[in-house]
Amino acid sequence: MNFTDTGSPDAASPASDEPVESAPKAVATPSAARVVSTDPAERLFSEYTRTGDKKLRDRLVAMHQNLVRYLASKFANRGEPLEDLVQVGNIGLVNAVDRYEVGRGNKFSTYATPTIVGEIRRYFRDKAWSLKVPRRLQELNQAANKAVDSLSSKLGRSPTIAEIAKAIGATEEETLESIELGNAYETVSLDTRMSNESDSAPMTLNEFIGGEDQNLKNLMSHGDLAAALDKLEEREAAIITQRFFEDLSQAEVAKRLNISQMHVSRLQQRALANLKKLLAEQEF
Amino acid sequence: MNHELLAADESLAGGAATPSPIAESSVVTLTIPCAAEYVGTARLTILGVASRMGFSYDQVEDIRLAVGEACSNAIARADAVSQKSAPTITIRSHVEPTQLVVEIEDSVANTGGENAEMDKTAGDDVNSAELGALLMEILVDEVTLETSATGTQVRLTKYAAMNAEG
Repeated sequence: MNFTDTGSPDAASPASDEPVESAPKAVATPSAARVVSTDPAERLFSEYTRTGDKKLRDRLVAMHQNLVRYLASKFANRGEPLEDLVQVGNIGLVNAVDRYEVGRGNKFSTYATPTIVGEIRRYFRDKAWSLKVPRRLQELNQAANKAVDSLSSKLGRSPTIAEIAKAIGATEEETLESIELGNAYETVSLDTRMSNESDSAPMTLNEFIGGEDQNLKNLMSHGDLAAALDKLEEREAAIITQRFFEDLSQAEVAKRLNISQMHVSRLQQRALANLKKLLAEQEF
Repeated sequence: MNHELLAADESLAGGAATPSPIAESSVVTLTIPCAAEYVGTARLTILGVASRMGFSYDQVEDIRLAVGEACSNAIARADAVSQKSAPTITIRSHVEPTQLVVEIEDSVANTGGENAEMDKTAGDDVNSAELGALLMEILVDEVTLETSATGTQVRLTKYAAMNAEG
């Protein structure tokens, strides 16, 4: 589709069945004083401005995705992923949709482009360290990086920490700290694929992050549980063991112990309550 | 191809880390065939010129994008008209103490009324020629456009940043 100024005689859609547009202000009901446009986007805009219907707004935003994508692609070679730029551009688009007024003589694309581009450029301008790092260390980090470059070319090898420290006038410890800080400039997604020589499915960074060993933890719980079970009354312990370790039903346990199932149910409840109490006491 | 260009960009930018003071206006001129595959060359040249002047990374990229758009517009117009001699684009970068002025002059004949077809290049609802012109206005401080029967000249001016912070 092609957006044209309202009222321009060479309006876009040739299939339009509404020749009304070149007769401005012919009809004069107060609410419909504006010229009716044949352009679908313009019509949607009139409708949206009048009703404020969020669904129309969604449609308008969806309708202009090509514009955002086109503009974002112009900035795609600056080191940020295109998808991120499209997202940022869409913030601009939504703002433009909300502020656009039909009938001001501007096409929407003309109106929205500066807003979208502005948002994308602001994104680049504000792009800073992902983690907040003290200013002094940021500067030290920059100085250290520069020193590494110049010393490398001067010495013909990688400089030592001591050499870098001397060049930037900091202690070796500060130098190390500032170099390590470089890692804070960018964060890495947990879903990042790790390179992996074997044929197995690629692993993500997340899978390499250590955690508590659940088995080890279970082992300790097991010990605690065994100790607590020992303290239970004999019949309660038997019920717990048969129900949960041997996977018997309440009816089967009842038969074995020669009591009613109701009784088993009651005893089991009491046994579990006691166990919980015992385990809670053991915690410390 | 894009990757090669990017790599080349980086090395150029690195070499221009220390801008020397510019005494008076000097001019860097480049003439390229009016074809898409040479836009990268134009952008590289601008990178070299602009980063020597101490523009920030983002400012340099803005200028390059604007110059690229001007070239692309010329190429789109060239594709829409048939001409006896192959058209060229000449990019003149005037390095001045307070600003960079880039003139992009093409030899694409303006026959008038040929604009109808060329606008469709980006497909769908995006009018690339018009958006390109808009982009230029957003990205640099001044844009002037002169057309004659034998060609079009776009003048882009970017003021040198006074503040040291990029």
